[in-house]
Amino acid sequence: MPTGSRKRRRRADLTTLGLVVPRLRLVDVLAESALSVVRHPGRSLVTALGAVLGAAAFVSVLGLSSTLGSQVSDAFDARRATEVVVNADADGPATDAAWQGGPALKRLTRLNGVTAAGARVRVPGQEVRRAAAFTATTVTAPVVGLDPASLGVVGPRLVAGRAFDRFHEDNAVPVVMLPRTVADALGIARTGVAVFIADRAYTVIGVFDDVARQPDTLTAVVMPFATVQPLAEGDVSDQVKRSVLVETSPGAARLVASQAPLALRPEGPDGLQAVAPADPQTLRREVEGEVTRFALLVSGVALVIGAVSIGNAATAGLAVRVSEIGLRRAVGGRPVHIFVQLVGETTVLGGFGGVLGALLGVVTTGAVSLYNGWVPVLDLRVAVLASLGGAAAGLAAGFVPALRATRLQPVNALHR
Amino acid sequence: MTLLDLAGVARTYNDGHPVYALRATTLTIPEGSYVTISGPSGSGKSTLLNVLGLLDAPDEGSYRVRGVEMAGADEALRGAVRGQLFGFVFQAFHLLPGRTARENVEIGMVYGPSRRRERRTRAEEALARMGLGHRLNADPRALSGGERQRVAIARAVAARPRVLFCDEPTGSLDSANTANVLTLLRELNNDGLTVVVVTHEAEVAAEGGLRLRVEDGIVTTHTEEARAHGFT
Ligand SMILES: Nc1ncnc2c1ncn2[C@@H]1O[C@H](COP(=O)(O)OP(=O)(O)O)[C@@H](O)[C@H]1O
Ligand SMILES: [Mg+2]
Repeated sequence: MPTGSRKRRRRADLTTLGLVVPRLRLVDVLAESALSVVRHPGRSLVTALGAVLGAAAFVSVLGLSSTLGSQVSDAFDARRATEVVVNADADGPATDAAWQGGPALKRLTRLNGVTAAGARVRVPGQEVRRAAAFTATTVTAPVVGLDPASLGVVGPRLVAGRAFDRFHEDNAVPVVMLPRTVADALGIARTGVAVFIADRAYTVIGVFDDVARQPDTLTAVVMPFATVQPLAEGDVSDQVKRSVLVETSPGAARLVASQAPLALRPEGPDGLQAVAPADPQTLRREVEGEVTRFALLVSGVALVIGAVSIGNAATAGLAVRVSEIGLRRAVGGRPVHIFVQLVGETTVLGGFGGVLGALLGVVTTGAVSLYNGWVPVLDLRVAVLASLGGAAAGLAAGFVPALRATRLQPVNALHR
Repeated sequence: MTLLDLAGVARTYNDGHPVYALRATTLTIPEGSYVTISGPSGSGKSTLLNVLGLLDAPDEGSYRVRGVEMAGADEALRGAVRGQLFGFVFQAFHLLPGRTARENVEIGMVYGPSRRRERRTRAEEALARMGLGHRLNADPRALSGGERQRVAIARAVAARPRVLFCDEPTGSLDSANTANVLTLLRELNNDGLTVVVVTHEAEVAAEGGLRLRVEDGIVTTHTEEARAHGFT
């Protein structure tokens, strides 16, 4: 083997000359890297700048996206996560109202995780007219019948009057609650007045402007479930929708949805469809996963730009270090020493820039969150990752200038 | 004993046309010599020194260091010889800014066999010997030209080489500092160190026991001592 015999010959020559076989002492070479970095803070900062910015972008993008993600899902979770709606299939038991009756609801309420359950019927577009001789104002709105339990699930926020109760339900009292938009359109400023729907008079007992759940209720005239029945049965449009609204304890929605049809209609659960919102945990993970992927892309680009910038700065910095490199070669340094030292320098600078940038990113995340009144959510592993990413970028970036430096011939480097 | 041995060594640069910087040269330098190389600018003095110091490789001929052939030697061997047997002093000092005098001297030993603690004490000793024991922690930018060159000499000798190569060591110094440096080199030579100095100053060239003159890449000598060493 030529390399083996070459090594043997070199060893013999070194022995003849009384010299020590040169070894690469990594500690010494890296100590030189460290000294070069700390004794030239200006040069070091310029070189590390790319890593600082890259890591800062990485941490703040990830930090802000996770912070924002948690705000969104917090707001989103609270109510929707505790809601299940059971609908009758289109070709299902439209006329069979037993699954909405008291015994069925009682069975449902006994299920674990159900806190309230009530019936709803929705009759499409009815002409609503104000009972006053001198106006002919009409509004077309769906009519929704709710029993006291489902009214509680919907949770209207009253701006005037009151909500109907068990008494109104049991006696099918002709009362309605109007959304503010409908009340305004009809020119109704106070409760106690009557409106006409299909030539029957109903007393307005409350006006609401918001709901906790089922936001489509905000455009509907609301009356007791029992009160709406003649209207529903008389409707010929085939568009009457019957549902059961369920409120669950947090996290139970999925489970309740899977059991509700059987509880409501043991003899034919297939005719019922229970809808639960996506599990907030899954949803949050999905949303965050997507945001994180985007953030990672942005940050990956930032790190690449950081690496290129470190490489450029280090290469440019070589110009003033030519004689240093020549001198190191003259005093016995081999190309591998030069290479390791320079790559060591860019790695240290990349890592240092990464730490600095990560801190900057944490501060940015905190400051933006504070300003917006959000609770900052930041996985500290992201900051660690950014620092390591900076070091990795520095390591990669060092190869070009370090290789270039090894090609410098000592004689040229020293006689400039 | 013969320390350095050139036989038919030539160095030609190709700058579009050939530049014969050093024509076939045969030359023997015994251990302990004080060699000066003088001649006009561009005559090939530095080329000869660089070949001798293994900073440059000749195109032709044989160069032996203590009998070991250096023509075709790999960088590991050449680096080891430069680092452990040779020391260098340049006109431009080549001290690293941002490092103390002591740290600069330590760089002369960092690729050699000595350990950190040993490097430190040797650096301090070498600087003390150069009369800079009180400037150990000075940045070279804060030193005078004469002081800088003495730091550079300390760096060259701290690793205890056998040969000291100096290219125009007094070229940037005033006469007082020149005299100072010449005294130091003389002392080092008296201690047994082989000294090879390139200069264009007659005063410096006169120091040599073996005085070489380079003109147009041709090395000649006028001293009897040189002829006695087989140089023609
Ligand atoms: N790297 C090089 N490329 C081309 N020519 C060179 C190079 N180095 C030196 N020379 C030429 O070789 C000759 C000798 O140069 P040098 O040894 O530096 O002279 P001195 O040191 O005596 O002033 C000069 O003509 C110079 O121009
Ligand atoms: Mg010269």
